[in-house]
Amino acid sequence: MGAVAAARPGDEPSPGRPSAPRPLQSGAGALDNAIRVEGVSKRYRAIDGRTVLALRDVDLEIRPNEFVCLLGRSGCGKTTLLNMIAGFVIPSEGTIRVGSEKVTAPGKGKGVVFQQFGLFPWLTAQRNIEFACQQKGMDPATRRRVAGELIDLVHLRGFEEKYPYELSGGMQQRVAIARTLAIDPKVLLMDEPFGALDEMTRAGMQDELLQIWSNRRKTVVFVTHSVSEAVVLADRIVVLGPNPGHVKTQFTVDLPRPRDRLDPAFLALEQEVQGALN
Amino acid sequence: MPSTDAGAVPAALPTRPPRMRWLTHPTTWTALAGAGTLAAILAVWELLSRLGWLNEFFFPPPSLLFAATIELIHSGFPDGITLTTHVLMTLQRIVLGFLIAAALAVPAGIVIGYFEILSKMTSGIITFGRSIAAISVLPLFIAWFGIGEAAKVALIALGAFWVIVTYTIAGVRFVDPLLLRVARSLDTPGPVIFARVILPAALPRIFTGLKVALSVAFMIIVAAEMIATVTGLGAMITEARTSFRTDITMVGMLAIGLLGWLVSRLLDGLEQVLLPWRKGGLRA
Repeated sequence: MGAVAAARPGDEPSPGRPSAPRPLQSGAGALDNAIRVEGVSKRYRAIDGRTVLALRDVDLEIRPNEFVCLLGRSGCGKTTLLNMIAGFVIPSEGTIRVGSEKVTAPGKGKGVVFQQFGLFPWLTAQRNIEFACQQKGMDPATRRRVAGELIDLVHLRGFEEKYPYELSGGMQQRVAIARTLAIDPKVLLMDEPFGALDEMTRAGMQDELLQIWSNRRKTVVFVTHSVSEAVVLADRIVVLGPNPGHVKTQFTVDLPRPRDRLDPAFLALEQEVQGALN
Repeated sequence: MPSTDAGAVPAALPTRPPRMRWLTHPTTWTALAGAGTLAAILAVWELLSRLGWLNEFFFPPPSLLFAATIELIHSGFPDGITLTTHVLMTLQRIVLGFLIAAALAVPAGIVIGYFEILSKMTSGIITFGRSIAAISVLPLFIAWFGIGEAAKVALIALGAFWVIVTYTIAGVRFVDPLLLRVARSLDTPGPVIFARVILPAALPRIFTGLKVALSVAFMIIVAAEMIATVTGLGAMITEARTSFRTDITMVGMLAIGLLGWLVSRLLDGLEQVLLPWRKGGLRA
């Protein structure tokens, strides 16, 4: 499983089988999309001038193509941790590596999906995705084709010429996910991506994300405060505790996919994780 | 919000045939109500004047204003200078001054807004400049530019400049930080972020600045046209004052209002064409 490389949108067209295995990139190797968090702490200065410790001494190893959920209440530093992996925030102590590269800045294959979507309001759905393609240096024809494939992948055919304000929250987040996939990221970092959506849309989006993930294997770090969301999605759940933020405990979820949210084993695990959270 | 309530009512009523739908549409009623109110005010005004309760000199009634408009179109005031000439001259000065201001203020605002250090250096000067009423600079401008067209156009350009530069700086500085994060996470190079994220994000505010500046230009024009000229709506109003023609003063006033309204609508239309994505009622 771990050796299956992600389909690269920039490559030759592979209509009908976007998930076809590809030869590994030279020198990169499957380990290129592992994430290593070593002894990371984050301090920041509060408004009143006091120094606040947001995260203390976090060690975390995420395997290539693993789907990890960071679970915790607000204020336990899960978004801070994600922002440090993304390169938006620099750790006060310790190092973070994505593949062999130490994280010092955003970009370089670290795809991020935000709770508030972050679509460019002046670009249509198609153009939002093409914007990302352009930064990968694709020529206009390739951009159009790749964006079109991604529109299909996130089931937005027919909405590609719509502006963000014309789309529902769920559709906007699907555009944002497609845009992130357009750069063929090594890792997919998602900060409560479905937090702004209603319950029904949310469940649908979880299923859709898993489908996308099974098509285009990526290492995923997914921040959430919903226990059931974590149990539906994750290979592994990392529970963070507060004051200061630290890794409290971890759960490996080996329930087969697709997971039945009403299955007794599912509910039992949900209870157990909930217990660890309290 | 009364308009929202009005919009909700028809849904509860038995459905009308589609052709009659405009009858229940809130905007139809708003437009009708606006026109009705105006007509009623004019009618009462006319009536009070006919009854002799309102002095015709201080409050020239609509019928007199209509007659004055006809006179202005045919023989003009002062003699030979028709309303069309006045309107065209005023429009020319405003458009010229406005375009000069925009051509200077938009690029300046973009540069100042982009570099935080420049914003800090200039914020005092800009607040200071904006606080000086353009009209108070008039004597100085006459000394610098003479009493010809240049002084009038420069006065309008000055008034519009401060407004446009202020809005442009704000537009460039207060781009949604989320959009910048997105761009950086997609490996977007700095110049591309500037051209394809910061500039489009600033456009709505820049456009608002242009619209506000235009209304400022219409306020300044009357003062600008007091300088040694007999053409333009401002000059017409000044002339009418010296010959005790309150009716012409009032027609001039109304013409400026109407002109300002028309040009504003033009800019609104332009905005809808240039920024179609704004229809969603963006946070701007």
